[in-house]
Amino acid sequence: MNQLQIPLETTKLENGLRVVVSPDRTAPVATLGVYYNIGFRLEPRGRSGFAHLFEHMMFQGSEHAGKMMHIKLINSSGGVLNGSTHYDVTNYYESIPSNAVERVLWLEADRMRALKVDDENLRNQRDVVKEEVRVNVLNQPYGGFPWLDLPPIAFRNWHNAHNFYGDFADLDAASLDDVQQFFRTYYSPSNAVLLMIGDVTPDEGFALARRYFGTIPPGPPQPKADVSEPLFEGVRSGEVEEKFGTLPAFAVGYRAPERRTPDWHALAILDHALHGGRAGRVYRQLVLEQQIAVDTAGGIQYPVGDLFDYNGPTLLASRVLHKPEYSSEQALEAFDAVIDAVCQHGIEQDELEQVKVKFRSEYVSSLEGGQGPSIPRYGLMNYLACFTLFDNDASLVNSILDGFLQVTREQVRTAAQRYLDPYRRAIVFRKPTRKAAD
Amino acid sequence: MATVQMPNPFAQVPSLGPERPVVWPARTHRKLANGLEVVLVESHTIPKFTGELYFRSGNAAAAAKAPGLAEITATVVRTGTEKRSSRQIEEDLRRIGADVGTSAGADTSAIGFNGLTEFSTDLLELVAELAHQASFPADEFERERRQMIEGLRIARTTPSFLASERMRRVLFGAHPYAIIAPTETQVKEYRLGQLVEYYRAYYTPSNALLIAVGDFASLQMMEQIERIFGSWKAATVPVVPDTTLPEFHGRRVHLVHLPESVQTQLVVANHAITRKHPDWLRLALANSIYGGAFNSRLIINIREQKGYTYSPRSGVHALRQHGYFSVNAAVRNDVVAASLTEIFYEIDRMRSVAVAEDELSDARTYMSGVFSLGLATQDGLASQLSTVYLNELPESELETYRQRVRALSAADVLAAARAFFDSANAQIIVVGDRGQIGDQAGLFGEVTEYSAEPE
Repeated sequence: MNQLQIPLETTKLENGLRVVVSPDRTAPVATLGVYYNIGFRLEPRGRSGFAHLFEHMMFQGSEHAGKMMHIKLINSSGGVLNGSTHYDVTNYYESIPSNAVERVLWLEADRMRALKVDDENLRNQRDVVKEEVRVNVLNQPYGGFPWLDLPPIAFRNWHNAHNFYGDFADLDAASLDDVQQFFRTYYSPSNAVLLMIGDVTPDEGFALARRYFGTIPPGPPQPKADVSEPLFEGVRSGEVEEKFGTLPAFAVGYRAPERRTPDWHALAILDHALHGGRAGRVYRQLVLEQQIAVDTAGGIQYPVGDLFDYNGPTLLASRVLHKPEYSSEQALEAFDAVIDAVCQHGIEQDELEQVKVKFRSEYVSSLEGGQGPSIPRYGLMNYLACFTLFDNDASLVNSILDGFLQVTREQVRTAAQRYLDPYRRAIVFRKPTRKAAD
Repeated sequence: MATVQMPNPFAQVPSLGPERPVVWPARTHRKLANGLEVVLVESHTIPKFTGELYFRSGNAAAAAKAPGLAEITATVVRTGTEKRSSRQIEEDLRRIGADVGTSAGADTSAIGFNGLTEFSTDLLELVAELAHQASFPADEFERERRQMIEGLRIARTTPSFLASERMRRVLFGAHPYAIIAPTETQVKEYRLGQLVEYYRAYYTPSNALLIAVGDFASLQMMEQIERIFGSWKAATVPVVPDTTLPEFHGRRVHLVHLPESVQTQLVVANHAITRKHPDWLRLALANSIYGGAFNSRLIINIREQKGYTYSPRSGVHALRQHGYFSVNAAVRNDVVAASLTEIFYEIDRMRSVAVAEDELSDARTYMSGVFSLGLATQDGLASQLSTVYLNELPESELETYRQRVRALSAADVLAAARAFFDSANAQIIVVGDRGQIGDQAGLFGEVTEYSAEPE
C-alpha cells in the first residue's frame, strides 16, 4: 500500500511556539488545538490532581476574555470546545466553522499570555472537579479500573504512581498562588504546539499565529520532572474494593518498551493480536470459548491513551471481568495460558497478516475520529501534537505505520518473551463487596 | 529613532470572517426491486467507507412477547451464518480490516459496518449474510444470554442507567417505550425460536435502509449493492400499534434507592415530540438555550456559578411514535433540593420571559455551525443521513436546515418552551442513597420509592 500523504506544514515562532497546519477543504470547518507539554504525570509532588484542576482553570478567564467569555465566544461562533489532561500533555481544542479561526486563535493566545482567575473561580472549579471524580470514579461500578488502580501498584516513582485525578485533600490545598505559579512554569509558548486542521491554509494559519502568539514571551525553561522508573522486579500485586458491581475483576500490567523502537512495534502488533476485539486471543479464549470472563480489554496505555500519546514509562494493560463462579486464581490461570502460548509459539503467519491489515485500517480511522463527529480529525491533531512535542517530527503521522507493517513473527515472539514476563508484572484485583441477588 | 506603535491585537474580539458556503454532497438514493432502500454519499477523506443497514423495527416491536428480544437477536446475528462460524466471522473481519456492530434500540435494529474501500465487496457480502443467512447457533445464544444477564447486573448499579430506566417507565407506562432493558428473569425465558422468529419477521429488505458513506464511486457502489443484496427475498412486516401514554397531573418524585451512593443522579422529564413534528426545530433551539450547549443557562447556573455538578445537560429525544424532553445532572448529595430549584427556575424562565436578541442569535449560530461540522467526516455524514432517512424527513432537510434555524424568532422559542417544557407536570427521578438525600426530594412532590433491583 502507498504511504499516507496527509498534507502538513510546520513552523516555529521566535518564542519557541511550534505551529502545525494540515489543510483540508472538504468542509468549511476547522479543528484547532493548543497542546502543552504538561500532564498529570509531570505535576509537582504532593499536588495530586493539580494538572487536571488547572485545565479547568484555563476556562475561567484570561485578560481580555473573562469568565464564560471563552465558552460563549466559541459556541456563538457555531463551534464546540473542550480540553483534557493526559499523562504527558494537556490539550485545549475547538471545532468551528472556518470563518471563526481568527477568533479562536485570539482566545487561545489570550489565555496563553495572561490567565486571569480569582479565588472564587478556583473554589467553583474545585467543586466541579470533585463531582467529576464522583461521577466518573467514586459512584460508578468499576470506576477508575484499572487506570487509577494499576499505576500505584506497578510504579515506584511518585510521578508515575500517584492518583492522577487527585486526592480531595490535595485538591482542597490548591491555592491561587499555585495556579499562577503552575501557569508561569508550564504554560508558555516554548512548551506548546498550536495545531490547525481543516479549512485553513498554511499561509493564513502561520500569519495569524504570528499576529496573536508572536509577542508572548517565551517563558522560563521548564523543570524536567524525573519520571524514570526502575524495571519491575518480581510480581507486584494489590486489591481494590468494588462496592457496586458484583463481578470479580483483575487487571495485569506489563512494562512496555520505549516508543519508536523495534520492540515497541512488535509489542504493538502482539497487543493487537491479544486485545484486538472479538478476534483477539484474550477475548476469544476467555469470553467466547472458555466462557470464564464476561468482558476483556487491553492495550498499551489502556484505557486512557493509545500507542502514540505518551512519553515515559507505560504499561501494556489487560483488564478481565469474570464470572463469580470462577475464583480469581482460576481466571488468572486462564489468562496466563493465553500469554504463555504467545511466549512459547508467537502468533500464526495468517494471524500476523490479518492484524497488520486491521492495524492499518484502525490507524486511518483514528485520524478522522477520536472524539466523535463533532470534533472532526481530533485524532490527526492529537498525533501531530504528540509527534511534535515528543519526537520533534510531525511528519511521523505519515510514516509511523511502516514500522508496524514490517514486524515479523519472530519479532513478535521475542517481544512476548521479553515483555510479557509472568514474574515481572503488576496485578490488581477488584474485589466486589456484595454478591448478585440470584 | 522612531518606533512604530503597533495596535494591540488583543484590544478587540476579532469579528467572524465571511462564511464559506456549506455544500452538502450529492446523495444517490434508490429503492431496489426487493424493497431495500439505499442511500449513498461519496466522501474521499480517508480510504475507507462506513455505513449502517437499518431495520425499522426494534425492541418495541417485540415488547409484548419478550422485552429486549430485538437486542438479543441482534447480538446473536453476528455469531454465525449458513457459511461461517463465529470465529470465522471475526477473523474474516480482521483480514479485511473491518468492523461490524449489531445492535437494537426501541425502533430499529442495525448492522453497522466500516472498512477499507479495497475490501468493500468482502465486507458487504458479510453484511448481507448477517442480514439474511444468520444461523443462530444454540451454544452462541446461550453464551450471549449469560453475557446479557451479567451486563444488566452491572447496568443496574450504574446511576445514569437506573435513572433512565425509571424515567422511561414513568413517562411511557404501558407503551413499549417504557422498557429500556429486560429483567434477568425475562432474559432467562428467551427461547432460541423467538429470536429466529423475530429475525424472519423483521430482517427483511422492505423493512430495511442501507446507508453508506465513503471513498467509493456511487454508481459502482450501487451496482455492487444490487448484486450482493438483490437475491434477498421481500416480505411484509407487521406494524407496531401505538398505545396511549400516561397523563400527569402535577409533579411527582420517583426515588430509586442506591445504597452507598456518594452523589445523586437527577432527571427531570416530560413528554415532547417526534422528529417529524413541525415544532422540532423550535424545540431544539429552546433546548440549546436552556441546557443543550456548554454556553447554556443550566450549565452556567449549576456548574459555572454554583459548582453543584460536573456535566449537567438537557436534551430533546425523539422516538418514532413519541418523544421526550429531559434534564440530567449528577449532583452533590447535599444540594439535591438546591439543584432542582435551579433546574425549575431556568425552565420557568424559558417559559415566561422571551429570550433576548443576542442570546437568540448566538444560539442560532451555534446550531447551524455545529450542523456543518458533521460534513467533514464520513461518520458525521452517516449520522446526519441516518436522521433524515430513518425519520423520513424531506430530502431537502440537510440543505435547508441552516436557513430554517436562522429564521427562528424569540416568539418561536417561547412558544416551544411553553408547549414542551412541562414544568407543572414534570416527573422527577432521583437516584441515590435515601439516607444521604433525606427530605430534599419530598419538597418537589409526592415521593414514590423504588429499589435499584428490578421489580
